[in-house]
Amino acid sequence: MTSDYTKFTLPEMMAVAAAREIRDGERVLIGTGLPLLGAYLAQKTHAPEMVAIYESGAIDCKPIVTPFSVADSVLSPGSAMQGGLIEALGIVHAGEVDLAFLGGAQIDKFGNLNTHVIGDYWKPKVRFAGSGGSNDMGTGCRRTVVMIQHQKQRFPEKVDFVTTPGYFGGGAEREKYGFFGKGPSAVISTLAVLRFDPETKEMYLASYHPGITVAQIKENTGWDLKIAADVHETERPSPELIRILREECDPTGVFLKKR
Amino acid sequence: MKKSKLISAQEAASEFIFDGMTVAIGGFFHSPSYAITHEIIRQRKAHLTICQPSFNEHADQLIGAGCVDRIISSYVWMEVFGPLYCFRRAMEKQIPHKIEMEDYTNFAVMARYLAGSLGIPYIPIHSMKGSDMMKYRAWHGESKAIQMKDPFGSGQDHVLVPALKPDVGYFHCQRADEEGNSQMWGIWGDMPWSMRASNKVIVSCEEIITREQTGRDPNRTILPGYKVVAVVHAPFGAHPKHCQGYYDVDRDFIFKYIRESKNEDDWKKYMDEWVYGVSDRYEYAKKYIDAFGMKKFLGLKAKDMMSTSVNYGF
Repeated sequence: MTSDYTKFTLPEMMAVAAAREIRDGERVLIGTGLPLLGAYLAQKTHAPEMVAIYESGAIDCKPIVTPFSVADSVLSPGSAMQGGLIEALGIVHAGEVDLAFLGGAQIDKFGNLNTHVIGDYWKPKVRFAGSGGSNDMGTGCRRTVVMIQHQKQRFPEKVDFVTTPGYFGGGAEREKYGFFGKGPSAVISTLAVLRFDPETKEMYLASYHPGITVAQIKENTGWDLKIAADVHETERPSPELIRILREECDPTGVFLKKR
Repeated sequence: MKKSKLISAQEAASEFIFDGMTVAIGGFFHSPSYAITHEIIRQRKAHLTICQPSFNEHADQLIGAGCVDRIISSYVWMEVFGPLYCFRRAMEKQIPHKIEMEDYTNFAVMARYLAGSLGIPYIPIHSMKGSDMMKYRAWHGESKAIQMKDPFGSGQDHVLVPALKPDVGYFHCQRADEEGNSQMWGIWGDMPWSMRASNKVIVSCEEIITREQTGRDPNRTILPGYKVVAVVHAPFGAHPKHCQGYYDVDRDFIFKYIRESKNEDDWKKYMDEWVYGVSDRYEYAKKYIDAFGMKKFLGLKAKDMMSTSVNYGF
């Protein structure tokens, strides 16, 4: 692994961007991969009071080895509590979890997520996993952050299937459902950080990752993406953050490939 | 001691699982009972409705083998490992035959089990509201989920999901006694609710303990023996998944399954070798050791990370 912490990769940039979305003291439901690394980075830096929760029922996890899956055996030893799905998703459902990281096959202009099908539901071109806990987290957690590859087919104007509602058709439409969750607050893609207009709830470009252009992002988005007036480069991680990420969050290179 | 329920996996599947049944399969990636799943496949059970909040490759094998007509679940995939190809072939191309899936969320399936286990007909939830899971309904039709205004006057609508009471459920745990009292630790997944909701339960386990041992740590028991109709001693019974304190997940073997299930012919070869070609878990473990070596097998063994014991004295 390179010890040059001044250079970083896009996945590392995304993990750092994920970490920045976490506030100290929050209860955070984390998945695997980059959100997991982001969560550990936050815990080791600005958010020591964060409570890491896994869908599999592990609460306040402090695994000594990078977990590969949300149901990894390394999650249990060291956790404050180990239960099952009711213990984890029950508190999500009760509105007690602040933040969840989600992924998906498609996300649209208003942050609606699709993890079901590409094409027609009854005759799918591609069938994906289904909701899993995604809809539970998207409706129950106070806010969500979506991490997704930035490609045109993954950013359509309207998703083929609404698995996890974002802001539905925009505006105040989500509010009438009365969810504990207030909806997605950010999308961290492989190209950019995107946020939602407080009024229209339409997704807009907030910052582009280093080395990426606004034109590239627009080309890879399926609608005429609005750009923030103060659009800027996503803040570069300090060498110290990159060091912690590589050496302490993923020392065996499970998610950040060893170079 | 009460009457022993200890029988073989073969006997358990043939005595308690029949064509057309609704079957709860226990486990959230951790500790599914391959011992029973493979026996169902070997006995060529058909027209099953299988239920689990989040399914992984054992559903794939049951689907590919033609045992399944219907799935009640929220998720059929291999998580970070990748897609399940038999599931996709069935959903996209009706291979080996058409299957239906009643799409819920992970919590919604748990809520259905919870209602089933408590003997109530339905349960209100927040999830699913406004999503396309409310629009698209398979064989449940109107009974899949109903949106209704809270009769207690909160002004909110809730989604009511019906109780799920499978004919039979099966799961794998660390240890059970011969009466069926089952102790499990680590990730419980859908347990105990899926099993409490089921009319009958088959448990497979790593170790058989005495009833006296069960009584020394009764808080560890997640299912009382009276629900259990069969106890199957099946060491290595969750492989290639993990069983906390016994063995870790076998990532190489799971990647091998994904690779070999990409096309039907390779998948059939895999199944001939690892499912149809062995008669029980002992033969399976022996075959594993022959194929990959004792070093690899022992490498899966869990490290010792013992808990402290507690005083149950009075």
